[in-house]
Amino acid sequence: MATTTLDIFRYQPDVSDASYRQSFELEHPSDLTLLDAILKLQDEQDGTLAIRYSCRSAICGSCACKANGKTVLACMTQVEDVKREFETETVQVDPIGNFAPLKDLIVDLDPFWDKFKSVKPYLVPDGPAPERERLVSKEDMQKLFRESACILCAACYSECNSLAADPDFVGPAALAWGYRFAGDVRDGQRKQRAKLYTGEHGVWDCTRCMYCNERCPKGVNPRDAIEKLGGIAFQEGRSMKDAGARHAKAFLLSMRTGGKLNETVLVPFTDPIKAHLDIPFAIQMMRHGKAPSPIPHRIKKLKEVQQLMKNVKETI
Amino acid sequence: MATQFAYYPGCIAEFSSKELDATTKALAPMLDIELLPMPAATCCGAGDIAEAKPNLYLTLNVRILSQAEEMGVDILTICNVCTLNLRRANKMVKEDARLLEQVNEELVKVGARPYEGTKEVTHLLWYLATEEGLSLLEKQGPRGLNGLRVAPYYGCQLLRPSSVMGFEDPDRPQSLERLITALGGEVADYEAKSKCCGFPIVLAREAVALRESHVALSQSRDAGADCMVTPCPLCHLAMDAYQRKAEALNGTEYNMPVLHLPQLIGLALGLDRKVMDFKRHMVPVDRVLETVGV
Repeated sequence: MATTTLDIFRYQPDVSDASYRQSFELEHPSDLTLLDAILKLQDEQDGTLAIRYSCRSAICGSCACKANGKTVLACMTQVEDVKREFETETVQVDPIGNFAPLKDLIVDLDPFWDKFKSVKPYLVPDGPAPERERLVSKEDMQKLFRESACILCAACYSECNSLAADPDFVGPAALAWGYRFAGDVRDGQRKQRAKLYTGEHGVWDCTRCMYCNERCPKGVNPRDAIEKLGGIAFQEGRSMKDAGARHAKAFLLSMRTGGKLNETVLVPFTDPIKAHLDIPFAIQMMRHGKAPSPIPHRIKKLKEVQQLMKNVKETI
Repeated sequence: MATQFAYYPGCIAEFSSKELDATTKALAPMLDIELLPMPAATCCGAGDIAEAKPNLYLTLNVRILSQAEEMGVDILTICNVCTLNLRRANKMVKEDARLLEQVNEELVKVGARPYEGTKEVTHLLWYLATEEGLSLLEKQGPRGLNGLRVAPYYGCQLLRPSSVMGFEDPDRPQSLERLITALGGEVADYEAKSKCCGFPIVLAREAVALRESHVALSQSRDAGADCMVTPCPLCHLAMDAYQRKAEALNGTEYNMPVLHLPQLIGLALGLDRKVMDFKRHMVPVDRVLETVGV
């Protein structure tokens, strides 16, 4: 048997508006999961301790919480593994991040579900239904393999740095589901989806902190899905429709003209109006020698790169 | 004999953050490193080209890897973003022979050398934060940082995803701390050291980006740091060049000097101050220089 101190975030709004922390000592078998540890506390020490859970098998995704600051599925995380990883005898348990707590470890998931619904997370095929089902080749389905594994546990959402700064950002899980349908050959809404996902708070708001890829317990890699949605947006003619898209386009222009980033082009191309209004900042940058040369850099063998840009076909 | 690397500074270090490139080049011989130029290497795409043309992104990065392979050396970078993009492309083609074949077909068509998948990509921080690396610093007999209190700022892309980066635990990184301590500085620890600086979206979504950088800037200030140090020129721009904007937006003052990693090492090893070109910083570093005594 092992002994662990669980330091748990408590919030009981029916008693008080203030949250607090409570420590529990627990004697347990060495292979106990974090979820079972919490349920054991609930059963044996404090019946008011609340956590949301269902399948206990890493399928439903409802028991996501933070263990020592890292978002995990409580049902697939062993207490002793957390202690080993963080070299501590105490496991601090918190509700997932970027959500308002409702009670103890249970959070208000409404914003998450609203965003999920906003990406139209279902197939919208074109034309009349065929006599048999709409078949998909193995190769085409492989393209969606990772995103199809998303269980909507919100671990990615919990850690998303863009969301922490902008609560309206659609977030990694919804966008991963967006790609799951935008990339599906059976779907007839590719163009509309490209438009839907690339406005304000969409694809171009991802700050690429990579937490979503790091934390996803199912290997979905939401950041990669966001990247693929950007590619689809470009294919569907949205390369100039948003400052984020124009920022990416400026990289392509730089690549074509010199092979390296042309900062002279980057700022005004990304947001021409702001670039003109932000002259004081530009002057400060110039004063410190940070103004780029107006003459674009030119790498050796640039023609190779220019030809690659013509030749390489996108197959998202 | 000096360890040779194909030197891939990345675009920002060569243009708006020239002080980083200059300091790295001046520091290299002191660390027994020979930096070989890569004149035909493109930009890594910084995640932006991947967002626009994923296949092109992969092909361009493999072309860079192939150039290092032709030179017979691994790649050394001084930028988190370049490290991630080059390592990611390397991993993708090393783990998928068919993908490598497809990319090589494109490279050969334009007269570029196909990649055999034999090279690695490392960051200066990783190279120095090992036992061997730290012994290179010791050999120089560093005069030290004189107790300078330094807040390590890793940023994101040198740590995550760990399946691609893999040098250290992304939740509890220690490489910068090891270097700061070895150089005679004190570590000002804070939670947000591995959070995002916001730079990738600063041009398109400035307010969101500045709210992101606020977290690290305010926490490092509250931890009593004399300065921050970062291994990434993009994080440097976000924290240094945009710091006054972040102060205005978030209604607070940080007044936090931000050093590039090679500048911190250079200060400790007694590198000529002029080479490190601190005048190019937007937030003055005077109090840092005063503490170190240069």
